[in-house]
Order: sequence, then C-alpha cells, then structure tokens
Amino acid sequence: MRDHEPDRLPESLALAVDLMRQEEVPSAEWRDELLRRASAEPRLMRRVTLSVPWAIAAGVLCAALGGAAVVGVTRYSAGAASAARVADGVAASTTANGMMLPVTFSVVAPNAASVSIVGDFNRWNPAALPMRRSPDGRTWQVEVRLPLGLYAYAFMIDGRLAPDPAAPHAAADDFGTPNSMLVVRGS
Amino acid sequence: MTARDLRGYHELNDDDAWLVQSALAGDARAFAELVDRHAPVCLRYATRMLGSREDAEEATQDAFLRAHRALDRFDTTMSFRTWVMSILINRCRSMLLHRRRRTARVQLDGAAVDAARAPDRSGGVELRDAIDHALAQLDPAQREAFLLKHVESMSYEEMAVATGAGISALKMRVQRACDRLQLLLREDVNA
Repeated sequence: MRDHEPDRLPESLALAVDLMRQEEVPSAEWRDELLRRASAEPRLMRRVTLSVPWAIAAGVLCAALGGAAVVGVTRYSAGAASAARVADGVAASTTANGMMLPVTFSVVAPNAASVSIVGDFNRWNPAALPMRRSPDGRTWQVEVRLPLGLYAYAFMIDGRLAPDPAAPHAAADDFGTPNSMLVVRGS
Repeated sequence: MTARDLRGYHELNDDDAWLVQSALAGDARAFAELVDRHAPVCLRYATRMLGSREDAEEATQDAFLRAHRALDRFDTTMSFRTWVMSILINRCRSMLLHRRRRTARVQLDGAAVDAARAPDRSGGVELRDAIDHALAQLDPAQREAFLLKHVESMSYEEMAVATGAGISALKMRVQRACDRLQLLLREDVNA
C-alpha cells in the first residue's frame, strides 16, 4: 500500500523539495539577450486586420507580386486540390465592423475523414470551422464571411496542418508549418 | 459586444492577459514584464529538469522567444504561466532527446556520477548533490510530473494542459517519482 496520496508530498521528501524550490534568478545578461533577440525577430503575419485603405493597398501589392487574392485550383499533395476564393461579383455587405465578404475555402481530399480551416480569423481553432464534404465525396468546402484584411490560414486535414499550395506562403510558424496568406479586398 | 465578450472572457483584471495584449500592440516593456514575472519559475523548472543551468537558460530563452512569436495565439482565458510552461516542457523534452548522448555522459550515468562525487569533510555528501543525483535518476516523464506537481505546485488539471498527458497518468508518474526519490535519497543517506 502506498504511504501517500499523489496530491500530498511525503514528509520524507519535504526538505528535498524545499531545496528544489530555491529560486533560479536569471542574470541581467540573460534577460537582455532574450529581449534583444525578441525585439530583433520579425513578427509573423498573424491576426493582421487592416483598415480598408491598407487592405486594398496590400491586395494591390500582392497582385503585383503574383499572389492574387483570388487563387486558382492547383494540384495538392496526394492528388488533392485546393482553393481559397473570394466570390466574384458579390456585393459587399456593410456591417458595424465594416465591409464583409464571403470567402469560400475548398480542398480536394477524397481520403480524408475530417477537414477544417484554421487561421487568423478563428484563432487557429480546428473545431471552429469544419469543412463540409461535397456530394461527390472528394471536395471539402466552407464559406466564411471575413472583413477586409490580410489573413494567414491553413487546412487541417485529419488533424495535420497543410498549407494551401495555391496561395502565397508566409514564413513557417513555430511548429515548422508554412502558412498560406489570403488578402480579402473590396475591389 | 466585443470578441472578448463573445469568447466568455471574464478575467479583465488578469494582468498577464493585459500584458499580452499590450505586447501585441507593440509595447516591448509589456513583454519584458512577462519575462520578469515568469522567467524565474521557468528557469527553475528547466534547471531541475535538465540538470544543467546552462542548458536551462538556453531552453528557457528559446521558450520565451517561441512564446513571443506566437503571442497572438495565446488564449487569454488560460493562464500565461501554463502556456509558457507548456512550450518550455516541449523544449526540455526536445533537448533531452537531442542531447541524450551528452546528457547521459554528464548526468544520467549513475556510476560515473557516483565516482565523480567527492565526499565532504564529514564523509557524506551534500544534500543538494544527493537531490540532483536522485532527480537525474528518475525517468524523465516521472521527473517532469514530480517537478510540476511538487516544485511548481501545479494542479493536475493545469499539468494535463501543459503536458498533454492524462490526469491519471500524471498521478501515477508523480506517485512513482515520490517512491523512487524516497528510495534513492534513503540509499544516499545510508551510503
């Protein structure tokens, strides 16, 4: 029989744990180095919500660089294809937060059991925007209404992050996965 | 109604959450404050976990830099300490994995450590040395659970979030770590 509960520290270890709890004070040099490295790092393009003029400017810049806001269907690994498409000819609605546009994300993943979209617009929560399988059973889609802006996103296919190869990619995140970028613009 | 209201955020006085928001808005002093608040605890955990202050400083610095990069993914309904500790726990695991050869040579080779430990004037060994030695002898998963529970005083729920392990598994690890530590320290005293 155990002589202690997992929540309670055995008395015989009390002195040892007191010593383990002795503080480890970071040196001033260590702190300065950390803050210097943090300030020198470029921030990842995450949760960037631009005002309308800047969003339009960013869209124009992306288009000029060859990364248009509306991306076409391209081949994806294992024969899948993907797209993030701002519907053409859709009149923008105006809300209290500004202009919102419907964006349809789609990915062809016939063998997947579950697919969702994660990005700046849903705090990268895999449960927030599950994608629906189309009647042909091959394509997964979801429509999201987004304010104008620049967004990083990725597909979550069977629990694994996958970038959209049809979209411009941002730098890899902390976990080594490159994100895709989408510009939602009003023109 | 704001996004925070929608997400059921009620801890408006949570200083860490405000510091995160300020850091995201570009206030470098806010991130420095987060470092000052949490680095000592992180450094202590990493030092005990890795058995080396130098490695602990590297792991802790790395964890804070990763946290800085991902600040806007921090869920302000959870504790900043739990979040940064979860990053640090993964860094420590990686360091133990990638530096296994060096770690084994320096810390985990019980015979080598025993041979290298000089007795003090009374013929015994310092308690601190004995504790470091005993911690190094623990299975890393047990050491991790023990340190989080009894040194960092985390709840099992918080530990589960930070480690990704189940609560029952964590309780088992803590219990086994306690048993083993008692045995190791008793042996050391009697040696």
